[in-house]
Amino acid sequence: MSGDRAVVGQNLRKVDGVKLVTGRPAFTDDIHLPGMLIGKILPSPHAHARIKRIDTGKARALPGVHAVLTYKDVPRVPHTTAGQAWPEPSPYDTYLLDNKVRFVGDRVAAVAAETRAIAEKALRLIEVEYEVLPAVLEIEQAMASGVAVIHDEPDSTKIFDREHNIAGYILREIGNVEEGFRASDLIFEREFRTGRQQHCPLEPHVAIAWLDADQRLVIRTSTQVPYHARRQVAMILQIPVSRVHVIKPRIGGGFGGKQEMLLEDITGALALATKRPVKIEFTREEEFYMARSRHPQILRMKMGVKRDGTIVASQLTVLATTGAYGSHSTTVQGNTGSKVLPLYRAEHMRFECHVVYTNTPVAGAFRGYGCPQGFFAQETLVDEIAEELGRDPVEFRRQNMIRLGDIDKLSAQLGEGKEGLPRHIRSCGLPECLDRAAAAVDWDGKRNAAGGPAHLKRGVGMAATMQGSGIAGVDWASAFLKMNEDGSFFLQVGAADVGAGADTVLAQIAAETLGVSLDKVVITSGDTDITPFDVGAYASSTTIISGGAVRKAAEKVRAHVLDMAAKMLDAPVDKLECGDNQVYTICECRKAVSMAELAMHAMYKEKTQIMDGASHFNTDSPPPFCVTFAEVEVDTETGKVRVLHLVTAVDPGTAINPMQAEGQVEGAVAQGLGYALIEELLLDGQGRPRNASFLDYKIFSAKDMPRLTTILVETDEPLGPFGAKSISEVPINGPAPAIANAIYHAVGIRLRKLPIRPEDVLRELREKLPTL
Amino acid sequence: MFDLVEAFHRPSSIREALRLLHAGGRRARIVAGGTDVVVRADPEIRSLVDITRLGLTYIKRSGGAWAIGATTTMAQIEHSAALRALAGGILVEAAKGCGSVQLRNMATLGGNLANASPAADTAAPLLVLDAQVVVAGERSRRTLALADFFLKPGETALGKALLVEILIPAPPRGARTAWSFQKLGRTESDISVVNAAAGLQVDGKGVCKWCRIALGAVAPVPLRARAAEALVTGRKLDGSLVEQAAAEAAREASPITDIRATAEYRREMCRVLVKRALAECAARAGCSL
Amino acid sequence: MRGTSGVLIMKTMQLRLTVNGETRQWTIAPGDLLLDVLRREGCYGVKRGCEKGECGACTVLLDGKPINSCLMFAAQAEGCDILTIEGLAVGDVLDPLQEAFLDHGAVQCGYCTPGMILNAKALLARNPHPSEAEVRETMAGNYCRCTGYLKPVEAVLAAAGRAPAPARSGRKAVKR
Repeated sequence: MSGDRAVVGQNLRKVDGVKLVTGRPAFTDDIHLPGMLIGKILPSPHAHARIKRIDTGKARALPGVHAVLTYKDVPRVPHTTAGQAWPEPSPYDTYLLDNKVRFVGDRVAAVAAETRAIAEKALRLIEVEYEVLPAVLEIEQAMASGVAVIHDEPDSTKIFDREHNIAGYILREIGNVEEGFRASDLIFEREFRTGRQQHCPLEPHVAIAWLDADQRLVIRTSTQVPYHARRQVAMILQIPVSRVHVIKPRIGGGFGGKQEMLLEDITGALALATKRPVKIEFTREEEFYMARSRHPQILRMKMGVKRDGTIVASQLTVLATTGAYGSHSTTVQGNTGSKVLPLYRAEHMRFECHVVYTNTPVAGAFRGYGCPQGFFAQETLVDEIAEELGRDPVEFRRQNMIRLGDIDKLSAQLGEGKEGLPRHIRSCGLPECLDRAAAAVDWDGKRNAAGGPAHLKRGVGMAATMQGSGIAGVDWASAFLKMNEDGSFFLQVGAADVGAGADTVLAQIAAETLGVSLDKVVITSGDTDITPFDVGAYASSTTIISGGAVRKAAEKVRAHVLDMAAKMLDAPVDKLECGDNQVYTICECRKAVSMAELAMHAMYKEKTQIMDGASHFNTDSPPPFCVTFAEVEVDTETGKVRVLHLVTAVDPGTAINPMQAEGQVEGAVAQGLGYALIEELLLDGQGRPRNASFLDYKIFSAKDMPRLTTILVETDEPLGPFGAKSISEVPINGPAPAIANAIYHAVGIRLRKLPIRPEDVLRELREKLPTL
Repeated sequence: MFDLVEAFHRPSSIREALRLLHAGGRRARIVAGGTDVVVRADPEIRSLVDITRLGLTYIKRSGGAWAIGATTTMAQIEHSAALRALAGGILVEAAKGCGSVQLRNMATLGGNLANASPAADTAAPLLVLDAQVVVAGERSRRTLALADFFLKPGETALGKALLVEILIPAPPRGARTAWSFQKLGRTESDISVVNAAAGLQVDGKGVCKWCRIALGAVAPVPLRARAAEALVTGRKLDGSLVEQAAAEAAREASPITDIRATAEYRREMCRVLVKRALAECAARAGCSL
Repeated sequence: MRGTSGVLIMKTMQLRLTVNGETRQWTIAPGDLLLDVLRREGCYGVKRGCEKGECGACTVLLDGKPINSCLMFAAQAEGCDILTIEGLAVGDVLDPLQEAFLDHGAVQCGYCTPGMILNAKALLARNPHPSEAEVRETMAGNYCRCTGYLKPVEAVLAAAGRAPAPARSGRKAVKR
């Protein structure tokens, strides 16, 4: 299928690569505007408090200070910071500035001043008298009667049960799990806990806002969701959408953390107040606790099986915290059920989840979006069941897993904050993923051989996972193409390349469709004045949804090109083909016209701009599949787990750019590895962050990484452009359970809490073998 | 971050540096590699005295002894072939663990010690080597044992003086002398959760004639495990003795709980690392345990 | 800026150095950090990632050695020769490392890339044929949150002639 494709399926260089390797100014902060002020946000020192009095007099009087804003100075508009399609399924529980603070790091006030030092000094001069309220820090505490109510303000909406701090609640069932458990021969039930991982994009959140010559508010920002940010900023600042222009330049990594309108509103408010350009850039410390993180969860997973290995019923009960605000609260947690349970074809499934508020840093979207937690529980439990049944974990999964032609009915019940749509499995590379990954790690050989020096024990483990490709019936995108005199095309998309390579992939899809080389497609993305709408970079949607729009737009433009060529070559359209930067006849006459000649003819003879656009959405979300195999070495004296080899086999549909696809896998695996072993934002007893720096919150470096093997198992997905599904999220799910299962294989202990710290390993080992 | 700094001095002599430090008082700060001063970002600082142009960047050998200038970087130590041959290369090993390549090009040996972090990686091997530090005051110079240099976290016996040189006396040598440096971090380039260094010399019968054990990140200051050393010295090295010495070293430790590890884990790792260090030394000295 | 006396003062000093082959004389404040001065003077390829010397995004070569410019006072660079990413390519001709990063898919968001490439440049200058372990040891000074480091390491090895250039076209279903 790829043999006759010139651009799609090829390992082409990133279209934005040269400017990145030469360090040209391409990121949000790589500009300097005359008169630009520096904005800073005063973070709350308390986890939960009411502002009784706030006096900004001294701060305003400081020379060099141009604005100090508190809740008294700005409109009060309940909203969510979640960058989701309207109407957002997240609670409207957030305010530009409020008279109450709900976590350490919550906004108290904002300042714009001539320098960073003056801005910082001004923050210290703001006098705030707090009425400190009891804080709810523990996830299990949140729903108890008598604890503080975090969102007692009357104007917030869409909160499930504010009296009990419940932001959202989900209960869905297919079949009848109780009946399923009665029909099972064996029942397994375990509790799991997962930590608060932070995105750690190398570029912290940053936004620059100014008024252009027409006094429109321009916001240049590090975002994954330029269009949502525009709509939300307009609503919050109470100005028309047409008065806001959002520009997404190159982005230094997002991973979900920038699917959030986090600085645009306050930076915009300061620009409006000062009539000067204003920049707010999070420091690394601020990024850790004032931005977003992954939802910590407590998961109770229960499965019933027959002796023959058939999984009859699976039930997942989750208690999660969204922190102080409900951004992405029900949607992330909904995924924990809807994308996890259906991997196995149990007749009965039940998912129940409470998402509670706590006075802790706010959780949000993060690569995997609820699945890493769910799969950690499910894949660890499934490993335990296979062990109990005396079955090989690979074969046990093979017996039960979802397959081509299946319809996942849980997804029909559990959509993005509402009823969803059933998922039809139209492509599935899972069996081949299992085969090839098992071979790559030498599964059969290593399962039967454990060992090593006295205190170093080796083992192998695996996990199977899936995700989605866009949100069915919600995500949509559009694209516009126009032809230039030299036979090149401008491609305009609202899609937001955040570093994952969307611009390249989308340009490849256009080039392939139009029969031109990649250099003939010049892409502009993520500028709300120039490019048409796109929901943005999230939910593994860009390749399939934005790519679908590009494919449609390019097909329309191709039709215009062929019409023009038909006139020029005096040949019927059905005898014409595009390729090699020209249009040629496929009859014996062998006539051809170059794209450049055709463009000149269209523009200056026919007086026609060849151009067209298209919108696209899907009513289904085809899952990419993934299996992860890990080989580990456990130091039984220190409890340290060293991962020796991680093999990841992924079915992404067609890989539009295989080299980039591999890069997505490797990056996801690295984050999944950190989630498994070291990464967790820790809070003290007052809700203050304890490790908000790279010195203290470590991420893995090149030296820490194990050997990685990436296998792309390509399938042909009917709903995707050129058969593509998605790839960037699914590989993050597997490392934690695969490593936990490998540790069990090595030393016989089950770790059910993430991250798996050496101290925990050592404790479990001691409990199992007191003589150690 | 340093907007209130009013002067940056680049003196070319120790005397001038000391004068500037004295004149600046509490609000003057020495800067060499910058890796501590900048990270801490003390807003009180008004003047900075750069000591990297005082001629204190050198690695010199005289007889069996070594003198290392205070502003010698970790990278210079790491790449010194001569230091690699000193004491099984334990100082080089420790220097290699001091952060990234970039940090090691900046961070200095003097800074690593004068910062008085309990976790300073070079402290344990230097304690094992009986290192001394040379400090220069405005009127005089004095030399003191590194073991007496550290007072508590972040505090040394320097006072108003300047750390100018680290002296390493000729260490025991010979085929039956061996050394080991052990470090446990959360990742490959991390501040030590625990570190340990050991050196020992045995006679032909495997009896330990000389022993040094030092620990990092398990007490308010980098620590000699003197009771464990005494336990080993004069006795025949075997597995049981190594275990006993390791347990003794763990008893000498007084670790704290922080975000990297709990006190209990640190104490336990102290035992494990000392065991590993002594076992490695024993193996290198040709003793079978 | 205000001094201790409360009077508005502006202490400045002159900094003379060479940046990307050109002699510069800049007016700086005594407490300015090299990262801030370089960005202020237009070297936007020097990235701000953590300001604590941990992430390596601000890496520049100082007299040929990689350092974290966020941890160095600008005044310390007096008389030094600095190379930033802007000075690596010769005109439009990219450095082999830059070419290799593009060919190997080693660039994703590109924020850590300038620091990585400069650090690797210094490594290859002192060790033209490093092992993979040596490359990883060096690159440990540059955090990357996108790539998992595999492709950057491959790119450096390829630039050092230790790994083949990947096929510019055609599928690689299985790798290594």
